[in-house]
Amino acid sequence: MANNNLMVGLEIGTSKICVVVGESRPDGTLRILGVGEAPSRGVRKGEIVDFETAMKCVHEAVVDAEQKSDVMIKSVYVAVAGSHLQSFSNRGCVMLPEDRDEIDEQDVEDVKINAREVSIPAQNAFLHSIIQHYQVDGQQGVLNPVGMLGQKLEADFHIIHGVRTRIQNTIRCVKELPLEVEDVVFSGLASAQVVLTQQEKDLGALVIDMGGGTTDYVLYSEGAVRQSGCLAVGGDHITNDISMGLRIPMARAEKLKIEEGSCVLGNCLPGEMILLKDDSGFAGKEIECETLNTIIYLRLREAFELLKRRLEQEPYLGYLGAGVFITGGCSLLSGIDHLASEIFEIPANLTHAQTAWGVTSAVENPQFSTAIGLVKFAQVMDVDRPPRGFSRIFGRLFSGKR
Amino acid sequence: MIQLNKNYSLPERLTEFIPIKIASVGGAGLNALDRIILDGLERADVVAINTDVQSLTSSVATRKVQLGRSVSRGLGAGGDPEVGYQAALESADEIREALADTDVIFICAGLGGGTGSGAAPYVAQAAREAGALVIAFVTLPFAFEGKRRNAQAREALARISEFAHAVVCFENDRMADLIAPQAGIHQAFAMADITISQSVRSIVNLVHRPGLIRIGFDDLLSALRTRNSRCLFGYGESDSDNRAHDALTQALKNPLMDRGRMLADSTHVLVQVAGGPGMTLSEVEILMQELGRHVSDQTQILFGAVVDGRLGDRLGVTIISSLSAEEDAVLLQTPPAPSNATSSPACEHYEPVTPQPELQSEEPAVESVPVEEPVPADEPMAAEALPAATPLSTETPLIPTRNGEPEHLISKPHEKSTSWKEEKAFTEKPAPPAKQEVLQFEPVTRGRFEKSEPTIIEGEDLDVPTYLRKNVKVK
Repeated sequence: MANNNLMVGLEIGTSKICVVVGESRPDGTLRILGVGEAPSRGVRKGEIVDFETAMKCVHEAVVDAEQKSDVMIKSVYVAVAGSHLQSFSNRGCVMLPEDRDEIDEQDVEDVKINAREVSIPAQNAFLHSIIQHYQVDGQQGVLNPVGMLGQKLEADFHIIHGVRTRIQNTIRCVKELPLEVEDVVFSGLASAQVVLTQQEKDLGALVIDMGGGTTDYVLYSEGAVRQSGCLAVGGDHITNDISMGLRIPMARAEKLKIEEGSCVLGNCLPGEMILLKDDSGFAGKEIECETLNTIIYLRLREAFELLKRRLEQEPYLGYLGAGVFITGGCSLLSGIDHLASEIFEIPANLTHAQTAWGVTSAVENPQFSTAIGLVKFAQVMDVDRPPRGFSRIFGRLFSGKR
Repeated sequence: MIQLNKNYSLPERLTEFIPIKIASVGGAGLNALDRIILDGLERADVVAINTDVQSLTSSVATRKVQLGRSVSRGLGAGGDPEVGYQAALESADEIREALADTDVIFICAGLGGGTGSGAAPYVAQAAREAGALVIAFVTLPFAFEGKRRNAQAREALARISEFAHAVVCFENDRMADLIAPQAGIHQAFAMADITISQSVRSIVNLVHRPGLIRIGFDDLLSALRTRNSRCLFGYGESDSDNRAHDALTQALKNPLMDRGRMLADSTHVLVQVAGGPGMTLSEVEILMQELGRHVSDQTQILFGAVVDGRLGDRLGVTIISSLSAEEDAVLLQTPPAPSNATSSPACEHYEPVTPQPELQSEEPAVESVPVEEPVPADEPMAAEALPAATPLSTETPLIPTRNGEPEHLISKPHEKSTSWKEEKAFTEKPAPPAKQEVLQFEPVTRGRFEKSEPTIIEGEDLDVPTYLRKNVKVK
């Protein structure tokens, strides 16, 4: 598939499974040919808990995508999420031999390996190591050191790692279908590929992809990933809170959240009620609007505050020129951008895939950000390196330290 | 201290001092003991008992007993309760000597290991035989320590319950829930020590010093004695404008309390309110009214109030209760497995304003005839066997009446003799061993996430709706 520039992104989300088929155009743009989706079952908080069921759902979504895009899907890029994912930044350093002072590609490889020489828990595997920037003999901000003269090459990497077996579960689920897995990508990173432009990454931006089960975040500053992570709180939690607070079934709570929910307090008239009809059309229960919004507001506020506290452990949050970008299913919730800008104290925008075109309904839907992002990621990777086989990924996951 | 109590001799001597000993058995017990000593406990003798000489030497206890000089030769019991038991037998005389001449003995032990499981029941027996009131504080091992250890612990718990008047049992697993998930393992272990230390000290404080409305060992025992299996404990302190409310809220916030919801099911709740001289009657009223909403009408509230100048503007509330064990009655182990609760620090008072004896004791297990008038105090039994227990089991007072009531600050909260029957009915079920059930405390509030891996961040379970955790009322 890589040879005819077709790429497929698959996101096994908590509320739905999205498959996006994209085509990389010769001019470097990305065209979406079709999308497939299926409601997800057997997934909680971004991770598979019921293998068989999840597999059926993935199959459904893939078939849907094949029909809509008229493409035979053989291999996919898969997004992973889950609270087990962790990240940190690390610096690697290599000294050139005495008799040579021109940095070559091998040195860059070496420094990359060196930066990964850190201890992560034994059961964890590296998912990404993303270059932030190089330093040559103390000179900051070098983007590509190959060909430069210097004795000492240093590189700052942002490293994302997670529990190996939990990542493998996702891979296995896809492999059993059977589809080939080209690569696994942290879903927040995938979303950031399409919701942010290069300018925004340079200015500094925070992407919050709030989906059904997890909230993934990636913070860019000076064009490089500085912080990332995954919070196992998402739209499901809001629905669950509503269901328990108002004592209504989950399905109805979900509908109520989508149709009436808002996280802005004080917008309702005092005593404004929402009438819930039961299945037979009879008036069921009356719910005060403000109560519903309070429940949503408290949950979201807490999630954002938690996120803020995490991000504040490093100094980047105060210097985001472009602001906060919210995507994912939860971004459809009314007022979420106001709440985010209030808490992070910088402008917040609702956003969806920007750097792609094609099936507009998909591109403009923030729920597809991750899946489209995967295709974009694939496109970028395709330029950078030869297509990687499934065994390569498995090898990477198994070897752990590398 | 006028103590018109009928129960046992303890109150008689309250004017001066009740001889209290704290005996700790085994490595875990010693750790807890060290913690108790370091936290500062006045007026109690401490005895460290262990097989392992090394840990004995490093203990800060003043009195030490080495068990089984020939059985274990100064080493530990190697995880074998049999060795622990043999060692205790060998040193029986020394144990008796160390425990002699005291009215109340607290035994601290970590069950599961060799010395704790093997020797602690023997120490409890010796203490009982010495005629003291015996209250045991034990920890059960972490689940990951293996089934074998857990089985040993359960067995030891059953045996201790035979001898002790009350057993306060902490599950280490439960302790672990109280600390942040990312905290180090030593903190998890330390948590158990701290909790034991807190309970011991607060129980001592609770009964040692007379207050306006005193809480005595009788009250404490009835809170502990209900053959329940789970302890509820909360302590809160506040100096805000609305301190009565805030202190109670804080006490109920304790994870062991589950925001007071668990209180609804308990049959006895012991409450002590401590405050500086500025504590007003209306504050206490507010507090008790609020607490009243959390307990059922059937619940017997054992109330105490103390004024302590040292508290200044602060007002502290200690709540101790135990939860009925219906749900886990399956765990048949031993007959008398009282469980109980821990309590908290604080509550000292140094302004004995005619302390009000208050008595209510009550005896499950014995058929009861509501007695209306205060029973006169028992003859003080000096050093006879079971000062506390005997009277308890022979008498059947159950009326929460207070006698000799001059001015009391507060009138007694709930009083119900009607409930007695029901209460008795269910206290008579086969008693499960004292234990804190973890599952019970998983609130019903995780809904959809009930079975999934919990998301615990910064010590909060994010699967529980935010509005519940923040205590926001929604209709």
